[in-house]
Amino acid sequence: MNKSRPVYKPFAIDTAARCHLIVTDQAAPPSAEDLPLENFEIWVVKTVAPGVPAPQMGPVRAFRAVAEMLTHLKHRLGRETVGLRLYAVGAEAFLWDVHNLACGEGLAADEIRLHRAGPALRRVYCTHCKTMIEDVALNVTACPGCGASLFVRDHFSRRLAAFMGVKIDAEVPGEPFVPEPFET
Amino acid sequence: MKLRITAIEPLSPTIRRFTLGGGGAVPVAPAGAHVIVDIPGPNRVWKNAYSLTGIPGDTTHYEIIVRRVEASRGGSAWLHDHAAVGDELEVSAPQNLFPVAQLAQHHLLLSAGIGVTPFLAYRQVLRAPFTLHHCCRPEDAAAFAQLLGPAKNVHIHTSRNALNLTRLLTTQKLSTQLYICGPEGFMEDVLDVALRAGWPASKIHKESFGGATGGAPFTVRLERSQRDVHVGADETLLEAMEAAGLAPPCLCRGGACGECELKVLEGVPEHRDHFLSPAARAANGAIMTCVSRAQTPRLVLDF
Repeated sequence: MNKSRPVYKPFAIDTAARCHLIVTDQAAPPSAEDLPLENFEIWVVKTVAPGVPAPQMGPVRAFRAVAEMLTHLKHRLGRETVGLRLYAVGAEAFLWDVHNLACGEGLAADEIRLHRAGPALRRVYCTHCKTMIEDVALNVTACPGCGASLFVRDHFSRRLAAFMGVKIDAEVPGEPFVPEPFET
Repeated sequence: MKLRITAIEPLSPTIRRFTLGGGGAVPVAPAGAHVIVDIPGPNRVWKNAYSLTGIPGDTTHYEIIVRRVEASRGGSAWLHDHAAVGDELEVSAPQNLFPVAQLAQHHLLLSAGIGVTPFLAYRQVLRAPFTLHHCCRPEDAAAFAQLLGPAKNVHIHTSRNALNLTRLLTTQKLSTQLYICGPEGFMEDVLDVALRAGWPASKIHKESFGGATGGAPFTVRLERSQRDVHVGADETLLEAMEAAGLAPPCLCRGGACGECELKVLEGVPEHRDHFLSPAARAANGAIMTCVSRAQTPRLVLDF
């Protein structure tokens, strides 16, 4: 097992909870048969036109963007009571952004469940200039901060919610490298 | 270590505070720690666990508060009826199985009866605000009120219905940690409500002493030691093993820490601990010797 990568379980509701908040960076919530019967809310990122969130449908609330959702989540958790379980579904960077925000609001690890979904895109941290690069699809990418050509290591930082990117030809300058897409 | 009783202070007809010290410095004990006190009885030595109630970190002496248990097996009755200033007692080094979660932004402390003792130490070191709800019999209310002092965040309840646990445990902010200490029935009530309210295990901290209330006698076969030990009605399995000259593992002596776990090879235990999961209980493959007993006349343990 690769200890540099968190392991995620299939989406499942914690039946010991009193209420559930499911947040996802995807447009669609998890499939209905996986959802609890009552006391739940789902937050999605979904627009019907640029800048216009989709209307609320029952327990599903739509946000314009992840940033807006996370701002609301922080405010919401500040008013929540023990008994809540928080579920994050989506990109790895999103999962750990939610996790780290929730921990700051007092949630413990056993009150948060993370489930990986969506395309294999990574947030990459340039270990040289500290720039965060979103939605990287290949294991070689140019850093927009310092211009270095980065190799994306299979090493995920939960604290930064990002993969580590290091200069690809640091050892042998000019060494050729064939970029490959990520499998997960 | 040997410590002398340097003061005895009656707090109520059934509750006394003992100060232990008299020699040099005692080991540092953090809030929530307890000691095991050897109490001489007519036929045997009782080993009772008492939470330290003095100032955490104070190395000049220890303080314990002892309730005289009605059906006392000997320990608390001796301390109330026979112990005198100047008596020397064997006291273990302090152990802390009930530490404060200092990262919490709020602490909710729930106690019943003499279970308030660890919280007397807690409230001197808690960095975040706390609320204490204490349940006790009406005749003890005055003594506890004096111990706890008047404070807006301290509430004493003298009837079972005065504290609405469901409302309390469904209205706590996410950054709250819950601490429970008291007799068996109280622990079960609070735990039941907390779990139904969806509290995660990581935010529930509990300690209970005195779960060992005796029961039907039984025989235990200790397979590796090649010994058969009879466990009497008023002694625990652990005490019987110790009386037989064995030194089984133990730490809290209250069914909380899991240190005394032994493998069950034959027979069905009667689980009275707070350590084993429901699944482990049902499997009957392990027993906490400090509080649990037997449903069958004979148990065979791997020891």
